[in-house]
Amino acid sequence: MSVQDILSAENELTHMLGAQQAVVLSTRIRLARNLDGIPFPGWAKVPQRKEIAERCVEGLNRLPKFRRGHVFRMGELTDLDRAVLVERHLVSKELASGKFGAAVISKDQTCSVMINEEDHLRIQVVKAGWHLRGTWNIAEQLDDALGPDLKFAFSEKLGYLTACPTNVGTGLRASAMVHLPGLCLAGHMEKVSRALSQDGLAVRGWLGEGTEAAGNIFQISNQQTLGLSEDAILRHLGGWIKNVVEQEWNARRKLATEEGDKFVDRLSRSLGVLRYARLLTSAESMNMLSHLRLACDMGCLPEERRHIVDRLMIEGQPAHVQMRQGGELDSDGRDLRRAAVVREALRDFPEVGPPLA
Amino acid sequence: MSQPLKCSLCEEPATVHLSQVVQGKVTKVHLCEACAQKGGATDPAIFQLADALTAPAVAPSLICPHCGFTDIDFRKRGRLGCPDCWKTFGDALGGLLIKVQHEATHVGRAPVGVAPVGQMRHRLEIARTEMEVAIAAEDFEGAARLRDEIAQLELQLRNS
Repeated sequence: MSVQDILSAENELTHMLGAQQAVVLSTRIRLARNLDGIPFPGWAKVPQRKEIAERCVEGLNRLPKFRRGHVFRMGELTDLDRAVLVERHLVSKELASGKFGAAVISKDQTCSVMINEEDHLRIQVVKAGWHLRGTWNIAEQLDDALGPDLKFAFSEKLGYLTACPTNVGTGLRASAMVHLPGLCLAGHMEKVSRALSQDGLAVRGWLGEGTEAAGNIFQISNQQTLGLSEDAILRHLGGWIKNVVEQEWNARRKLATEEGDKFVDRLSRSLGVLRYARLLTSAESMNMLSHLRLACDMGCLPEERRHIVDRLMIEGQPAHVQMRQGGELDSDGRDLRRAAVVREALRDFPEVGPPLA
Repeated sequence: MSQPLKCSLCEEPATVHLSQVVQGKVTKVHLCEACAQKGGATDPAIFQLADALTAPAVAPSLICPHCGFTDIDFRKRGRLGCPDCWKTFGDALGGLLIKVQHEATHVGRAPVGVAPVGQMRHRLEIARTEMEVAIAAEDFEGAARLRDEIAQLELQLRNS
């Protein structure tokens, strides 16, 4: 299986498999686990890292979840392959930059287990829309299925032992990708961000730590992993996400009401440019696609089209554009190709109408 | 307006500023990025100073017997060397854990086959409080259920 196959496969983040929702793009659960008795990847010698990879791949391949899945070894992939996996959030930049990292990915791409990143294992489960309990249940099952085989490092007092003190205990990072054009346009993001971080939640742009929120998309995750039960962590995040979603809708409705024609005009101009532009940069297309997603959420565009917008957001990223084209492209080449892909995908889109009540 | 400080070696604008205080006497050295990175023998005094400021002040005080990781390694990397490092460095990291996690004891799940002692103790504490509340609210059915749960937890903890 190649990275190319990952691109062409249907998955719930890019195809209408009945899962997309407004505001919350996806929910993710990540568990950090380590094998007992072997140094963490950052300190392990090369033979040890190879041993870790072999044991983990073997353990994972025995699970039904990963039957017909993909195993990717970072050392065997091209730069472009690795960049595509990072853009799809299947692996992290840190895993992609190391030589002995590997990723085992399920066929439906909802489960991706990173091997030899900061910890021996990072179990990740992602679903489209808001499905905290659903993703947690899958992650919990994988954890329980792997544990007996792989013998995780665990202490009664400190819980699951990890390389970094920021992950020790439950090793759980629960997060949601949220689309907040309403709060952004209303200028409320700083206030919202501050309120969240004061209550133990991290807010970052969807492209990772220290990045701006391209397309008004943010990742909200728990910071504390020790001293709270998994249930408490999930409830805490869930409560805040519901709050943020409500605030986002309030901001959207207020904006639409106050701006009236201006609101529809802004969304229409974005559709217009996306449908006819010959060159599109990554940043500007993300911004305009954000408007289209908003339009779909509010009934200004048919909701059934939303998965096309989501697919363009993922596939408009630089490595994706190049892989589709079949090879590396320079900046202008990517902008040209991106615009062509977007024009084609939005060809049949109707005009933007007023929001449904 | 004072002029920007110039590098002591090459007269470029200085961005690295070093001060050394020896027996009350202050010596200041200003370097540009390029000269600071070069190090070496051009002017031994200046680079002895630079070296002294970046070298570890003391020998390692904690070393993990399993993997050789030291506290100095931790200060450099922010991550530990192996799961057993937690035995060696656990106490020393206590303060950091509280700062980063606000708590120092695990109350979540355990691997299959391992008794989740922390989780049970945590639940026990909560159940005891809930039982008091139920009794106070005269919810005797609820209180009875909690009393049974508490007994069950206490038994499991004694056996684990």
